Amino acid sequence: MREEVLRMERVTYREQGVTQLENFSMTVWAGEILGLVPVNHYGLPALIKLLGQNLPLHYGYIYYHEKLINHWRSRAHGVNRISIIQNQSCLAEGLTVADNIFVLRAGFRKWLMQPEVLKKQLEPFMKDIGMDIPADAYVGTLSPFERFVVELLKAVVAGNRLIVLNDIGNFISDAEVKKIHGILRHYAEKGISFLYIASHFEETRQICDRTALMMDGQITKCFLPSDGEFQNHFLDCTETFEQRVREWKEREEGQNLSGESGGRSAAAFQAVDLCCGEGGPLNFSVAPGECLVLQDLDNCVITDLIQVLSGEKKAVSGSCLINGRKSNLRAERQIAVVQELAAQSMLFPNMSYLDNLCFTLDKRFPDVWLRKRIKRSIRQEYGAMLGREAFDLSVEQLSEKQKYELVYTRILLQNPEVVFCVQPFKGAEVSMRFRIWELLEQMLHKGIAVVILAVNLADALALADRLIRLRRNGGADEYQKEDFAKLPVTTPWLYLYQQEQTGRGKTGKGQTDKNLSAEKGLDV
Amino acid sequence: MKKWNKTLTPRIFLVFGLLGTLMIFLLVCVLTAAAAGAISPWCFVTAFIAALFLVGLIIVWIVRPYRRMEEKMELFLDGYMTTDLDALYELLPTPASLRVMRRVGRMMDSAEILRMNKRQAQYLALQNQINPHFLYNTLESIRSEALLEGLTSVADMTEALATFFRYTISKVENLVSVEEELANCETYFSIQKYRFGERLHLEIECNPEEREEIYRCRMPKLTMQPILENSIIHGTECKIDGGHLKIRLELSGRRLSILISDDGCGMDAAALAKMNEKLGKSGKVLAEQSGEAQGGIALVNVNNRIHLLFGEEYGLHVFSMPGVGTDVEITLPAITNDREIQNKEALRKEAFR
Repeated sequence: MREEVLRMERVTYREQGVTQLENFSMTVWAGEILGLVPVNHYGLPALIKLLGQNLPLHYGYIYYHEKLINHWRSRAHGVNRISIIQNQSCLAEGLTVADNIFVLRAGFRKWLMQPEVLKKQLEPFMKDIGMDIPADAYVGTLSPFERFVVELLKAVVAGNRLIVLNDIGNFISDAEVKKIHGILRHYAEKGISFLYIASHFEETRQICDRTALMMDGQITKCFLPSDGEFQNHFLDCTETFEQRVREWKEREEGQNLSGESGGRSAAAFQAVDLCCGEGGPLNFSVAPGECLVLQDLDNCVITDLIQVLSGEKKAVSGSCLINGRKSNLRAERQIAVVQELAAQSMLFPNMSYLDNLCFTLDKRFPDVWLRKRIKRSIRQEYGAMLGREAFDLSVEQLSEKQKYELVYTRILLQNPEVVFCVQPFKGAEVSMRFRIWELLEQMLHKGIAVVILAVNLADALALADRLIRLRRNGGADEYQKEDFAKLPVTTPWLYLYQQEQTGRGKTGKGQTDKNLSAEKGLDV
Repeated sequence: MKKWNKTLTPRIFLVFGLLGTLMIFLLVCVLTAAAAGAISPWCFVTAFIAALFLVGLIIVWIVRPYRRMEEKMELFLDGYMTTDLDALYELLPTPASLRVMRRVGRMMDSAEILRMNKRQAQYLALQNQINPHFLYNTLESIRSEALLEGLTSVADMTEALATFFRYTISKVENLVSVEEELANCETYFSIQKYRFGERLHLEIECNPEEREEIYRCRMPKLTMQPILENSIIHGTECKIDGGHLKIRLELSGRRLSILISDDGCGMDAAALAKMNEKLGKSGKVLAEQSGEAQGGIALVNVNNRIHLLFGEEYGLHVFSMPGVGTDVEITLPAITNDREIQNKEALRKEAFR
């Protein structure tokens, strides 16, 4: 008999009168890894909140281990024994691994800590999963992967039978994700269940026993791996994105054939033996209008590189050239950096919409803050594009889409030679990813070089002209667009490149595309 | 909770009484002070504490219960809760309204609601109009004639139809075993196979180790067949190529979960939300049920019967995606004895009809 760990039965949950989850039904069995792919993020934060805490429901029933823990008539506010692991770590950075796992745990009653005892207690847990993280290491010094393992161990030690993993692919590299899958499978065999939230089916397919698709705050369908046409289900929801990838590829090919690209020889930006921190020296260049993806396989380069590029930190060694000119990267307006989760991290709530937009214009118009005429004409010019009403709103009042548009339009106005985007698609729902794609495309059309820094390839690959996979020791593998089909990863849209390669080997590309798509049940 | 305390009115009277006492106390204090020439600070402290106590009492005793009552009434008006009116009795404005609610509760007796179930009524009407034995004998005669003429397929079809009618019309009991219900589904499917031929496939899946236990579980009669019928008619009929239907049974500690899936046309998110809303708000659907034209009536009927017999926490839920297919999940309590049923009264009355 299968044991039920979590059951949500027709849950309708409202926040300030707005329905976040509607008739939400989901079951997680003991020892199961259930994938959850949110097509749009509507209701997802509410679901995570509701899993962690029993909040008043509008309607429905929630069972944990077949025991009713929350229902629409109760006013319980208890915390559930469900762990949630996401990008934002819940560990205390100033404490050691052992302290975080054993001491910061509900039910820990001791008054005196014995580090040696804790270390001994931790050993079997580490051995069990084949990890070797020192028990006395401070959490602040650990890599994101190690932190993840510590959080996982903390949940296991606390006896939580359900662990929610929210978009872990975005902060853990491909190689580490494989290790994590091994650990998850190990614990699943021991009866611990996981809710694996990921943006793409390709990611959940690698590890999950079932995958549920979430849309508009409800589960629309659950898929078993035995359900055959697994991939196509998701593509039906994102066919616009797929269509766009195809159009982009075709346009690129057209340009290459007509020679419009003009041979991207002169580099807009070049890194020469650039050593930022933990990783080895970096050597790469990017041409105007080219999109380069730098995939950080060990998740040890991006943070340092961004700090160096934004002038926060000096490079240990090496140099950067912009249009062949050496730059010290301090207050350099020829380089723009779009930080991770740009809508939250790159806007200033105290400043008006227009001031946020003109924030980096000082190099182009040194008197932008003195002359109102410039700002007025910017408002007039970009009003049609961004929506005139947006200019009268405060930053807090803006929608997610308006925030992203504001950040990217600021960069367009700045007109740098190169833009570095840190995981631009991270945390964005499908429709938002379309918009980010369009905005990046605008930059490329303007001749701005775009460098996407990613841990997980996911959506970034579709826009890329070139991919460099970076390793901790400084090693790097470079892939041209035509080599994308050879990538040893399971990533969305990869099959498009594989189709293309198969097409080259056969009669004609168009014909082959049609044949392959027909096989996959896709509309071309 | 004591009887007098089950309505808001005595609480309001009590609070007003306390308020009046406080006012008299303050008046006495003022008059005493006027006579003595000075007001004692203790009077103010006592009055302040009493006022705080009164405010707290009003919030805890009147405002909060009133809000809760309002929320529950809104939910009831929205169509939630068909049987469990006890939640509404928790607190009412006056003793008379409490009596009214009890009367409404009795009027909305579960068996009465079961009778309102249209499909059920149709079967009962059929049962009253047709003499079952006459029907079986006629079908048997057709079968014999067909066999004599060497028309094996017609004979088999007639036999299947007779078996199907015997199950749906003759057996008046409300609960059947999963095995019987599955057998009826297979009979129904075999009849449909004559129409669809090899285009239609049915698969029944369950853990072989639990098969016996699952098959012994009790469930309302005609729960799976209407859903299977829906899957064929709305899901597979519109498809040019074949349709695969799957019935997956799963047993957890206290629950039996049956998933009926098809790989048919499916429905979009809006239609799915509407369907699940209908299933959630069974009371409203019952109240507003007007004609045959309403979509998904079979699912709603099955869902209502489950709600009435086992409670609101069991029932149907639909998952669907356009072009991919539809899954209908039936959740039932895992019971092997009719005596374990929650609403025995409804079952007894229905069986005697």
